[in-house]
Amino acid sequence: MSTQTSTLSDYRRRLTTNRLGLWLFIISDAFLFGGLLVSRFYLLGTAIRPEASQIVGLVVTSILLLSSFFMNRAETAIAHGDRKTFQFSLLVTLLLGVLFLAGVVGVEWRIAPFGPSDGAAASLFYTMTGFHAFHVLSGVLFLAIVWRNGRKGLYSPEKHWAVEAAAVYWHFVDVVWVFFYPALYLIGTP
Amino acid sequence: MDANIENMKKEAYRAGFSVLVLLAMLTVGEYLLGSIAVGWWAPLVGISLLKAFFIVRDYMHLPRLFAGEEEQE
Repeated sequence: MSTQTSTLSDYRRRLTTNRLGLWLFIISDAFLFGGLLVSRFYLLGTAIRPEASQIVGLVVTSILLLSSFFMNRAETAIAHGDRKTFQFSLLVTLLLGVLFLAGVVGVEWRIAPFGPSDGAAASLFYTMTGFHAFHVLSGVLFLAIVWRNGRKGLYSPEKHWAVEAAAVYWHFVDVVWVFFYPALYLIGTP
Repeated sequence: MDANIENMKKEAYRAGFSVLVLLAMLTVGEYLLGSIAVGWWAPLVGISLLKAFFIVRDYMHLPRLFAGEEEQE
């Protein structure tokens, strides 16, 4: 019993450090996206925006918001020992992430009436969505690993740091899009 | 005890859903604002900041970072 208590106590101590490390990484990554956002307003101002599809923009934004909800549901489920909901919600999050990638890279990039070299607005559009898409892709891979480990029963209500880390990373990617969406689709005219 | 855990779980699920509804409403609002009032960039930035605040607080659980070891979930 005392060994078990000691192990849990060690785990909680490590958890505090792990959380700090993850947030430091998130903050450092946020500077990259912050720089891109500043570039967008510096080069285009608030009067011009890329000529991107409004409908696709709204749809992919909704998909990402919905994926954040399911990620939160998955984390809540494992924290309360509800494995079935955890596995299901994580899978839905993963699929919505893939759908978001398909929407941006497969649809938006294909139907956009400009290429990456057609001026500042076009270059910014592809750079910003491209960087973000790579983060979504790495998040999807992270989620796939967590889902596989979850099937093996590696997480419990007491110990599920990997799930928490995947969730924080996924929500961060969502927060980035919260700022990219109006910057690329709503502010200014094409 | 089990009933208590079950209630806590339901409450946590409900809180997550409430945030989703809020974010959906804000997204529809910013879409309409962006379509109607083209020059109004400041309210759009405000809506983005509000959405980010709810995600960081309720989905990313930022307050956990400042919790002591005894308060860990």
